[in-house]
Amino acid sequence: MRSVVRVAAYLPAGSSGGVRVAASDEDAFTLGATAAERAWVDRVRVSDPVVVHLLGDYPSTADWGFPALLGRGAEVVRHPGDGGELARALRSLEETGEGPALVVAAELPERATNRERPAPSPPGAAAVAYFLETSDQPRPFRLGPASGSPSAVALALRRENSDDGGLRSDTYVGDWDLAPAAGRPVDLELVRRGAERNLSAVSEGAYVPRPRYLENLPSRWRFAADECDACHEVTFPARGVCRRCRRRDALTAILLPRDGGRVVAVTTIGKGGQPTEFDAQVEVSGPYQVALVDLAEGVRVTLQVTDAAAGEVRVGDAVHTLLRRLYPMEGEWRYGRKAVPAPPGTTERRER
Amino acid sequence: MLRGFNDSVDKTVREAEALAHRAAIVGAGHTRFGVLEAGPRALVRTAVDAAFRSVDRGADRKDVSEAFLATLGFGGSQIGNSAAVLAEETGVVGVPVTRVENACASGGFALRSAVGALASGASPLVLVVGVEKMTDVSNARRRYWLGVSGDTEWERLAGLTFAGVYGLIASRYFAEHGDASEALAEVAAKNHENGALNPNAHFQKKVSRAEVRAAPRVADPLGLYDCCPVSDGACALLLSAPEVARKFTDTPVYIDGTGAGTDFLAVQERASLTRFRATQRAAHEAFRSAGWHRSDVSFLEVHDCFTIAELLALEDLGFAGPGEGAALTLSGETRRGGRLPVNPDGGLKAKGHPIGATGVSQAYEIFLQLRGEAGARQVAHAGHALAHNVGGAGATAAVSLFSVG
Repeated sequence: MRSVVRVAAYLPAGSSGGVRVAASDEDAFTLGATAAERAWVDRVRVSDPVVVHLLGDYPSTADWGFPALLGRGAEVVRHPGDGGELARALRSLEETGEGPALVVAAELPERATNRERPAPSPPGAAAVAYFLETSDQPRPFRLGPASGSPSAVALALRRENSDDGGLRSDTYVGDWDLAPAAGRPVDLELVRRGAERNLSAVSEGAYVPRPRYLENLPSRWRFAADECDACHEVTFPARGVCRRCRRRDALTAILLPRDGGRVVAVTTIGKGGQPTEFDAQVEVSGPYQVALVDLAEGVRVTLQVTDAAAGEVRVGDAVHTLLRRLYPMEGEWRYGRKAVPAPPGTTERRER
Repeated sequence: MLRGFNDSVDKTVREAEALAHRAAIVGAGHTRFGVLEAGPRALVRTAVDAAFRSVDRGADRKDVSEAFLATLGFGGSQIGNSAAVLAEETGVVGVPVTRVENACASGGFALRSAVGALASGASPLVLVVGVEKMTDVSNARRRYWLGVSGDTEWERLAGLTFAGVYGLIASRYFAEHGDASEALAEVAAKNHENGALNPNAHFQKKVSRAEVRAAPRVADPLGLYDCCPVSDGACALLLSAPEVARKFTDTPVYIDGTGAGTDFLAVQERASLTRFRATQRAAHEAFRSAGWHRSDVSFLEVHDCFTIAELLALEDLGFAGPGEGAALTLSGETRRGGRLPVNPDGGLKAKGHPIGATGVSQAYEIFLQLRGEAGARQVAHAGHALAHNVGGAGATAAVSLFSVG
């Protein structure tokens, strides 16, 4: 039986407290923002067949990268937004049995196309992702009336699961990490203008074209790597070939630990030291750190540090990682993992 | 795997060791480095004209049989096919011209390509030109371009330009070997002092260690004065086969060995942040091919794009042990009057760093120094010199060894 693990990135319309800026499809992308979500994503192995149900109307390109996030074999099922989408999703969930599934619903503002400004969010816009899983002690899978708008469903779900894992209406992370917990005053107008400027900008130099960005998502979002059965070298990012012995036929897909990495080098980027695509972020939230993090012995990744004061993270610190927004480019938000200070007492994870 | 590769290099090198000199520099020209009015075409013209004028017994443009152009194409203007621009601006239209683009190491690799072309025996005279025009674009566009030669899919997406990557490297160096802030400040102060005596240098003023350490941080622990400037400039060399060099001048400067290497583009894939394997390999190959020892070298031109890079260079080239570059620098031995002067022209730090021109300009300085023509910044007893040119944060590197007489 499936139970609802969590509602992620729920964006109630008109939320107060300066938390929400604009709802869009990408807001549902904050997978891994909490321990419950990370646990869910962690339990999904690279080779697991995951079914992703998208509720509502999405532009054809917007599979949201979930297949890449969840594994190479993820299947996307679309349920058109004619009012019956939730019912159809529930039916197919029953039919697909016990495997992990992800249901994503959203009311989207009109999607920004390349080089166009994003349309302003309509009132009431919301995005919500339901993480479903098999459990020994299942909570009943209840979604109330199997119809209604995604935001109405989200509200109902939130009520029904309010004792589940610290869900709060203001649980929102995403817009350059302006989480209320960070205690920073948020200038919403600045954020909006910065985002629009970047979204409408045409790249002038070094950037990652969309196809390259998408091709690396399993490594960038889940730390997917290849372990060589012949020489035991771990190749990260995964290349489909062992970086030491060049064998292609002896690779096992693995996921590197996403929590408990160790900082081996860290720098604080001062004003003007950032690439231009980070200008708006610096304007909004100030200087940031970038760390080189040991995920496992000898396997390293370069990550921006977030939810920490500049200078807070030092060499030797343990860090966890979260999937966060990087920057918008050519009409689209780019996502990647960032590092956050691990709670005191966290022991380093060393297993592969 | 690397061991086997080096062995095969060694074998090739041993076979070639019969040749004492591989090429000769018979002429060299240099523009001012800095924020200049001139565009890239005028810079190329000026440097090449000066190179021809410098040939003691004269050289004819008709004798040039091949040319190499080192440039990144910074800013995106004439990013493609700039070889033809070199040909038409310098009066060698018709001969083959090859553009070499290995980021900041373009010049060193172009020089190596020219040596190879001369070794083939087909070319009596080869022209090597490095040029970059960097200050004619907006600040935003410039910062866009300053990261294009690093890893874009990991380092850039995390918010790093080269200052940031070298900031990480410096952070790791401190973690492994202790705080080296004073040595970094000494690198900047020393190179500024040398640059103050170089009429072509971008910065011709001294700065104190205290000023370096007090400057705003760009990528902690690196501050503004730990970074080389963004400069315009060009440099040109005329190379001949060693056996005909004296047709052009009585004091040719010989290239006795070259080496080059590569590494993973992103530092996250390397075993060490504080050792550049590309530099180590390049130095190994160069010294083997020349049959030199480290102790033969009188002075160094090294790639100090950021102050930490000079410490790494001293160590990776074999002039200091791991972590000992800081102590060697603080001992004063790398100053102009020291036992092993480093960057007597001011280095990238003070002379400036027009990307494609830098590796060629290092050979220019060596050409002057070994001929005793370096004026106020002349190094005493300069007989053998090394040039070290790095692309990106150690992803590519070229090393050349020079002698006179």
